[in-house]
Amino acid sequence: MDSIILAATEIRLGPINFIATDWWIFALKLVVILTVVPVGALVGGYALHKELGHLQHRLGPMYAGGFHGWAQTLADGLKFIYKEDIIPARADKPVFSLAPAVIFVPIVMLFLVIPVDRSLIVEDLDVGIFYLLAIGSVGVIGVLMAGWSSSNKYALIGALRSAAQLIAYELPIVLTAASVAMLAGTLSLVGIVEAQDWPFILWPPGLGLLLFLIFMVGAIAEMAIPPFDMPVAESEIITGPFTEYTGMRFIFGFFFAEMAHIVAFSAIASTLFLGGYKPIVPWGPLDVIPGIVWFMGKLVVMFFVLIWIRFTFPRLREDQLQSFAWKFLIPVSLILILVTGAWVLYAPESIWPR
Amino acid sequence: MAQVDRRPKGHPHSLEKARGLSLGIGLLKGMAVTIRHLFSHNSVIQYPDERQDLSPRTRGVIALKEENCTVCMLCARECPDWCIYIDSHKETLPPKREGGRQRKRNVLDRFAIDYALCMYCGICVEVCPYDALFWSREFEYAEYDIRELTHEKERLSDWMATVLPPPPLEEGALLPGMPEPDLPAPSPPASPTVEATGAQPPTTTASAVEARPEQAAIAPKAPAAMEQETKATDVPEAPRLEAPEPAAPAATPEEPQAPTPNVTVPHEARRPVALERTEDPEQVYQQVLEEQIAKGSSRQVAEARAKVARVKAERGIKRGPTPVQVDKPVPSAPTKGQPAEPEASGAPEATEPKPEQGPVKPTKKED
Amino acid sequence: MATTEGRVTREVEEVVEEVSTGQLATQEMILNVGPQHPATHGVFRLLATIDGEVLTNAEPVIGYMHRGYEKLVEARDYRQITNLVSRMDWLSGINNELPLALAIEKLMGLDVPPRAQYLRVILCEMNRILNHLMFFASFGAELGAITPTFYAFREREDIQYVMESVTGGRMHFGFFRPGGLKEDVPRGFYSAALAAVRQVIDRLWHYEDLLVGNEIFKGRTIGVGVLDKEAAYSYGVTGPIARGSGIDMDVRKDEPYLVYDQFDFDVPTGPNGDCFDRFWVLVHEVVESARIVEQAIEGIPSGAVMGKVPRVIQAPEGEVFVRTENPLGELGMYLVSDGDRRPYRLKIRTPSYNNVSALPAVLKGTLVADMIAILGSFFFVLGDIDR
Repeated sequence: MDSIILAATEIRLGPINFIATDWWIFALKLVVILTVVPVGALVGGYALHKELGHLQHRLGPMYAGGFHGWAQTLADGLKFIYKEDIIPARADKPVFSLAPAVIFVPIVMLFLVIPVDRSLIVEDLDVGIFYLLAIGSVGVIGVLMAGWSSSNKYALIGALRSAAQLIAYELPIVLTAASVAMLAGTLSLVGIVEAQDWPFILWPPGLGLLLFLIFMVGAIAEMAIPPFDMPVAESEIITGPFTEYTGMRFIFGFFFAEMAHIVAFSAIASTLFLGGYKPIVPWGPLDVIPGIVWFMGKLVVMFFVLIWIRFTFPRLREDQLQSFAWKFLIPVSLILILVTGAWVLYAPESIWPR
Repeated sequence: MAQVDRRPKGHPHSLEKARGLSLGIGLLKGMAVTIRHLFSHNSVIQYPDERQDLSPRTRGVIALKEENCTVCMLCARECPDWCIYIDSHKETLPPKREGGRQRKRNVLDRFAIDYALCMYCGICVEVCPYDALFWSREFEYAEYDIRELTHEKERLSDWMATVLPPPPLEEGALLPGMPEPDLPAPSPPASPTVEATGAQPPTTTASAVEARPEQAAIAPKAPAAMEQETKATDVPEAPRLEAPEPAAPAATPEEPQAPTPNVTVPHEARRPVALERTEDPEQVYQQVLEEQIAKGSSRQVAEARAKVARVKAERGIKRGPTPVQVDKPVPSAPTKGQPAEPEASGAPEATEPKPEQGPVKPTKKED
Repeated sequence: MATTEGRVTREVEEVVEEVSTGQLATQEMILNVGPQHPATHGVFRLLATIDGEVLTNAEPVIGYMHRGYEKLVEARDYRQITNLVSRMDWLSGINNELPLALAIEKLMGLDVPPRAQYLRVILCEMNRILNHLMFFASFGAELGAITPTFYAFREREDIQYVMESVTGGRMHFGFFRPGGLKEDVPRGFYSAALAAVRQVIDRLWHYEDLLVGNEIFKGRTIGVGVLDKEAAYSYGVTGPIARGSGIDMDVRKDEPYLVYDQFDFDVPTGPNGDCFDRFWVLVHEVVESARIVEQAIEGIPSGAVMGKVPRVIQAPEGEVFVRTENPLGELGMYLVSDGDRRPYRLKIRTPSYNNVSALPAVLKGTLVADMIAILGSFFFVLGDIDR
C-alpha cells in the first residue's frame, strides 16, 4: 500500500513540475473523502436500522433494494430531495440556509486527519488531535444558528439546550484527548497510533479504560444520541433546533450529520484508544492482516457499541445531564490528567518506554 | 396454589431495594438484555410473504349461506350499526295437495353487508336461527372505493368456501346432549344429537360428522366414562406446556406457509376416525329408512338420514337414534293440520329508525 | 420628551429595585400540550402554565373523544351494548363488558355457572396483563427507551393470539353475555393460555431490568410526580395509581365478584406515590394476574358456560350499581332499567376520568421536562375518560 502511494507521488506529467502532482494527490484525496463520507453515512444509517431491528427482536429494513433492504437509507435520502424546501417567512434567510452546512462540513473535515492505514490519510497534521477537537466544536455554532434563525421559540429553547450540552461535554473530550496525547507524546494522530503497541484501552491498565469511558460518554453527548438526546427528542417539539427544516437541509443538518458524526467518532475512538490500524495486540502473526482491515473492524465494533447504548437507555433530563458533566465528568477528567502526567513522568522505563 | 414468580437470581424482591443505589450495574444489565435479543430468533412474520395461522373463530368476514336464509330479518334487526341491507318479496306457491292452502315463501332478493359500517361484533351470526351466516377468517378485502366494501349476496356466498368448522371444545365443556356433570346418569337422550346441533357449517354432512368424531362418540355415554376419556386425551397436551417456542417457519416459494406462532392453539384436523365396525352399513341403511318413514318423514328426508347413518356405520362411529322433532315438523312433512312454517313478516319492527338502505347495485333482477 | 423620559427612568428604577431585591418578575407562558402530541395517549390536551421551567398550573382539557356512550346505549339492547362498551377502555376490552354483565345478572337474578365464572376470571386477568404491558411499553417510550416497547408488544401478541382463538377478536371481544359466556373455549386453550402467561412472566423480569433497574430511569422517576394519599382519596383516584400512592384498595379483594375470593394473590402497593412506585405496581400486577390465571386454569370446573337465561334479556324495573377492578382502576356501572330490552339509563363511572382529574395536583410545581414522565405514569386511556 505504501509503495503505491509513494509511486503515485513520483508521477511526473512531463514538464509539469512536482508541486502540480502534489495538488493532484490532494484533490484526489479530497474527492475520496467527499464520496466516502456520505457513503459511510448511508451505510452507517443502514447498519443502524438493521442493528436496531435485531436488538428489538425484529428485522429492520427488508424491502428497499431487494436483498435485506440494503438501499433503505439511499431511498430515504432520495425521498428527501423531493421534499418541498420551506423557509419560514420570519426566518433569517441566510443564517437559516447556512446552518446545516455549518453543522455538516466540520464533520466531513474530521475525516481529513484520521489514519486508515499508515499512509492512507489525507493529511497527517502535526496537530492532529488539536485540529480534531477544534473543528468538532464548530458544530455548536451551527446548532445555535439553526435555532435562532428559525423564529420559533421552541426551536430556540432546543438550540440553547443543545448548545449548553455540547459545550459542557466538550470538556471531558478535550481533557481525555489531552491525556491520550500525553501518553503518546505527540498530537499527531499517526504518531498516536504508532505509540500504541498495546492499545491505550488495555495499557496503561485501568487508566486507559477510564479515559476511554469518559471519552465515550462525552462523545455520545456530543453527538446528541440517547441517553443524551434531550435537545433533539423532547424540547416540547420533536427535533429541537431543526423543527423548521425540511428536505435536504434537514437531512444534511440532522440525519446525515448525525450518522457521519457517529462514524467519525467511532473512527476517532478506535484511533485514540484501540490502536487504529495496528493489530489489537502486538502478536506477530496478526501483522498479516492489512491495517485497513484492522481499522475498519475496530470502527465497526465501536459503531455497534454506540448504537447498542443508544437504543437501550432512556433519556437523561437536561439538568441531570448538566450536573453529570460539570459535577462528575469534568473533575474526574481533570484528575485523570494529573494521573496521566504522573504516569508518563514517573512510571519505570520497563513498563512505559519513552 | 401456583407460585408464578420465576425471578432470576439476585433480582430485587422489594420496592425499597429497587429504589436503592445501584451504581451503574443496572445500566450494564440493561445492555445485556438487549444484546441477548440480538442473537435470538426474531418473531417477525413477514407479511405478505408469510401469514399467521389464524384461529377458526377469528372474525374476518361474514359469509352467507343463501339456501338457509328464510329472510326473517333478525340479523338486520339486531345489528348495532344497521349495516345489513335485506330485500325480499313474497311468492306464493301452489298447495302441496289438492285443496290445501297456498304456501307462502320469502324469497331473498338482496342481502348485503356494508363492511364499512360493520363493527365485526358477530351478533348477526349468533342470532341467525337458521345458520345462514358464518364467520370466516379472511380479512384481506380492502378496497380503493368505499362502495365496494358493501358485499352483495354473491360475494357473501363466495366467502362460504373459506369458512372453517368450529374447533372442538376444551375438556370440561358441556357438549350438546351431555347432561350437567352433577346430575345422575340420564336415559338415552331424546334431545337432538350431533347431527342436529347445527352449529357446524353443513358444507357436507359427512364433514360435520368427521369434525367431531370423538364428541359424537362421547355423547350418549355416562358422564363418568366421558370424563375418563377426555382426561386420556389430555396427556398429549401436556408436553405443549414445556415447549412454547415456535417451530421454524416452513416457507416454500410456491406456497407461503404460515409459521407457527409462539402459542399454539391446536385445531382439530379434519380426518375421518376409523374405529372398528360393529354393524353392516347396508342393514343400517334399511333399518333407518324404515324407521324414518314410520315416524312420518318424507321419502327424501328419510333417505338422507339413512345415508348418513350408513356412512357413520362404515366409519364405525356410534350413533344414537335419529328422531324427528314433532313440535317443529320439517318443512316438507305432510301437514297434520298445523301451519307448516312460522309466519315471518318481511318488515322489521318499527321501534327503531328504519335501516337506511344502501345504494342498490344493478343486479340481474329487473323489477 | 419629558414624560417618556420620566416613564423610562421610572421603569429602569423599578427593574433595578426588583433585581436588587431578588424579585425579578417573569411572565407566565401558557404551553399547550395540544390534542395532537406524541407524548399523550390520544387526543388529550393539557393547558400548562409555565413560569420559566416550572409548571404553575396544569389544566387537563378532555372531551375530544366524546362519543356519547351513555346516550347511545339507551337505544340498544344488552348484547349490542356489550359490543359497544369494550370500546371505552380499548386496552382492556373484556374488563369493560364485565360490570355490564354483572349488573344485568344482578337485576334479573341470573345464576352464572361456575365454569363461566372461572373463564371470565381467566379472560379478564389476561386482559389485565395486556393492558399493563401496553403501559409498560408507552412509559418507556416516553422516557426515550424505545426498545422495551417492542418487547412488550411481542408479549402482547402471544396473549392476544390466545384470546383471538377464544373470542375471535384481538382487542374488542364481545364475549360476555348476561348469564355466562357466548360460547365455550376451544381445545388447547388451557395449555395455550398457561404457556402464554408463563412466557410473559419469564421474560418480564428481563424487561424489567431494562427499565426498573436502570439508573437513568430511576433518576427520572424517583421523587417525580408525587401524588400523596390525601389528594388521591379526594380526587377518587383508583387502580395502580392509587396503589402507587399507598392506598391499599382493590375491588377484587374488598368486594370480591366472580370467584376472586377463591384465589390467592397479593395486591402490590407503593408507599411513595411517585412515578417509580406507580410503575413498580404496574409490573407486579402483571405477576399477580399471572398467578390468578394459573390457579384458575388448575381449578376450573366442568359444566355449562351459560346459565338459565330467558331468550330475550329484559331486565326488570330497578336500578343497580356494580363496580369491578378494571386494569386502570375501578369501573362502575349504574344501570337503571324500566323493564325494557334496553336500559333506561346506564351511567358509567370510568377510572381514567378520576385519575386524570388528579393531574393538576401532581403537576403543580414540577419541571417541564418531568411533565412528560408524569403523563406517562398516569395510566389513562382517552376512550375511558371521554366515553
